[in-house]
Amino acid sequence: MQPTSSMNKEFLKKWQMGLQIFRPSIDNTSVSERKRAIKLSADVAMASLRKGTTCWSRALIQKTASEDNFLVRQMLSGIKEETLINKKLPKVMCHRKIVRRSKKILMRRKSRSAMEEVAAKAKKLVKRKTQGLRNAVPGGEFMSNNVLLIQETLDYIVSLQTQVNVMRSIVDAAAAGIER
Amino acid sequence: MSNRRSRQSSSATRISDDQMIDLVSKLRQFLPEIRERRRSDKVSASTVLQETCNYIRKLHREVDNLSDRLSLLLDSVDEDSQEAAVIRNLLM
Repeated sequence: MQPTSSMNKEFLKKWQMGLQIFRPSIDNTSVSERKRAIKLSADVAMASLRKGTTCWSRALIQKTASEDNFLVRQMLSGIKEETLINKKLPKVMCHRKIVRRSKKILMRRKSRSAMEEVAAKAKKLVKRKTQGLRNAVPGGEFMSNNVLLIQETLDYIVSLQTQVNVMRSIVDAAAAGIER
Repeated sequence: MSNRRSRQSSSATRISDDQMIDLVSKLRQFLPEIRERRRSDKVSASTVLQETCNYIRKLHREVDNLSDRLSLLLDSVDEDSQEAAVIRNLLM
């Protein structure tokens, strides 16, 4: 499961398309505006590779659209809007303090063996780390099923690697071209 | 297998052992700490999750750095120079 060369090519094409949209203004803008253009185009390009089939890509497109709706609509003109939106409601987050308090009360009533304690702590730790992962992947709040979370994570990582590899090649080539 | 039950429910279930083993094998290639251990060593679920998280955030930082570098490169170049043409051909 590695980024393929066809993924690289498709990403580059889409990214170039995005940058073209900024082209007229890119010469007259500040460095930070340019960086924003580069980054937003790269993110939409990466997400568009999945054509709305993964939760993370839909969430990323939504997020980018909230920052630059025009860009997203231009870059994704071929795709129907319905496929791009996460329709499920985000997982409801429980109020932590209240949950902790009621758990403490319940625990006082049970007597637990040492082994049970260890197992319970391990469970808690995994739960916390899973939530951390959910925060790192776009659209994680929509992934109530942990199996889905893992699948999306793996796909997201491969896509990120594609994005990084292509961007690095371009930046290195551009830097080398300038130094000559 | 008792794990099959948890696989089918859609509410937040614990990640089962099978799913974790699958994830570890796929992440081995990306995560140096886990790759370096011998195959027989067990890796805890929380470690795998943490390392995955760290790796994703590392990739985010790389994208950010590359965007910085590229925007500076575009800035440092004279409009009509040959270098500008090089970049334009690469990107636009």
